[in-house]
Amino acid sequence: MELTIDQRWDLVDRITKETVEVGAYKHTLKDAIADITVRPKTGIPFAIAVIYGFWMFFSTFAGFFTDGFLVKVFGDHYIPWLGSVFPGKGTWLFNIFAGNPAVFQPGYAGDICFEAGGVLTTGLFMPIAVVLPAIIAFYLVMAFLEDIGYLPRLAVLIDTVLHKIGLHGYAIVPTILSLGCNVPGVAATRALETRKQRFMMMVLLGVFVPCGAQIGMMQELIPEKIGFVFIALIIGYFVVGYILNKIWPGQSPEMLIDVPPYRMPTRGNVWRKTWMRTTSFLRVAVPFMLLGCVIVQLLYLTGGMAHLGHALSPVISGGFGLPQETVAPLVAGFLRKDLAVGLLGGIQLTGWQMFSSVVLLSVYFPCLATFVLMIKEQNAKEFGATLGVLAVTVFAYGGILRLIGMGLGVA
Amino acid sequence: MRKISTAGSVFVSVFGIIVLVFGIMEFVVLGRYGVEGVCWGPLEMSGMWLWWTGIILVGAGIMYMSSANNFESNIHQLAKSVVASIMIWIMAGMAIFDKVAGSIPGEEVWVNPPADFLAGCGPPFTPAIFLLPVSLVIIYFIRQRHRASPNTSSEHLVEE
Repeated sequence: MELTIDQRWDLVDRITKETVEVGAYKHTLKDAIADITVRPKTGIPFAIAVIYGFWMFFSTFAGFFTDGFLVKVFGDHYIPWLGSVFPGKGTWLFNIFAGNPAVFQPGYAGDICFEAGGVLTTGLFMPIAVVLPAIIAFYLVMAFLEDIGYLPRLAVLIDTVLHKIGLHGYAIVPTILSLGCNVPGVAATRALETRKQRFMMMVLLGVFVPCGAQIGMMQELIPEKIGFVFIALIIGYFVVGYILNKIWPGQSPEMLIDVPPYRMPTRGNVWRKTWMRTTSFLRVAVPFMLLGCVIVQLLYLTGGMAHLGHALSPVISGGFGLPQETVAPLVAGFLRKDLAVGLLGGIQLTGWQMFSSVVLLSVYFPCLATFVLMIKEQNAKEFGATLGVLAVTVFAYGGILRLIGMGLGVA
Repeated sequence: MRKISTAGSVFVSVFGIIVLVFGIMEFVVLGRYGVEGVCWGPLEMSGMWLWWTGIILVGAGIMYMSSANNFESNIHQLAKSVVASIMIWIMAGMAIFDKVAGSIPGEEVWVNPPADFLAGCGPPFTPAIFLLPVSLVIIYFIRQRHRASPNTSSEHLVEE
């Protein structure tokens, strides 16, 4: 028997009347809390509290393991032990695997963990002692906030601000994902509506959003200045976003997003997500970190680093006011930004130079894994534009920071 | 119900003022002493997060006070107080976590002995830790409201 459209709707009505009971909607406390956390007047202070909690958990958790135990394990025991048993002190092999022989001298006063530089010393210290606790802490809170249903509310709250730069509130999701690792962040841009939005988001993520490993490293090196680094990056995120929105062709359409109710997260789900993301991050990051240590040590041993230092000194020293030694972290930054920031710990820098170097490394080239993904995700024109934005941003930041430093009498 | 609700309005008004005063004090301390802050007996206000904690406390204080009106009849008003309490719980929870995590590893030893651990967990405390026990009173009002409407679960508090 075939029914006409009207008959079908009549049938639907009859079935609905017999099966669906309609009553008055009872507004629950959970509903009311859900409403309050998306309204700007109450939602913004709450969001500030959530972000504060996020950051405090991140820094306390990472600090507990890194400073409380792992720095001691590596700095007092493992690295000195490896330096004493590794054969051929002074050979290339020793330099590459154990590191700079000077740090193994008795009574060495520097930071042996960062300054050794070998694959089996600093190369293992950074991913295990600094990056791993930071990444676990980040993904743990991230999974909790995701499962409780808070992230879409954050997206609603930030929607108005992100509209100013041609993005919508949901762009906060790739941004937050990138604070863990840029690779899933860039992959998550696929959820954005148009090519223009995807291009803009990828540029902003690659340039202005540091990954969890890099944040952990910054927290270890310059805990008292990390807030200023974030301010510098947030300003860049919005200024460059605004400019790109004005000059890059394409559309930024409106988008409706579903805000789910709050739910109690399940422990198993949170642990599974944290485990999955942490292991996947380590698989991407650790090989590049170890490779970075090998390349930096090889460049030192062959004299390549000195040549690079001379070649780039007009820009680095003349333009940015930084010592030539910062070339090594810049080279390592092509592979891993966290490794690059970590290598700054082995260089004698003033407070301002350290701050400038960390900011410049943050806005400098994205890590190799992100870079490869960007090549895959963008067409030639977009990729060329991304490189152009990178170059302009580095020079603009380098110049502006130098001027500010000179104005303050510290550069 | 009326008696409970009046008590609730008084509680959130008075507690809101206290929370707001603590928040304003954090800004005053920051302006006057910088991030080094001050320590008055068991109370400590210091650190580079004073701006943030100040904003959160001021926000929570205002939310408590603004929830006093119609606390008895409007579930959104109760919810506002609950959200303000959650803000304080986040701050206090992180302050306690920081104290405990910072007291476990020792300088010369791997793990501090119990006496040093307890000393590390002791005062001075941030304002959020002092506010925490009082903020938990909000749970009593949620339960009272639930009891006053026995036909609804805690997740189905009817807006009247």
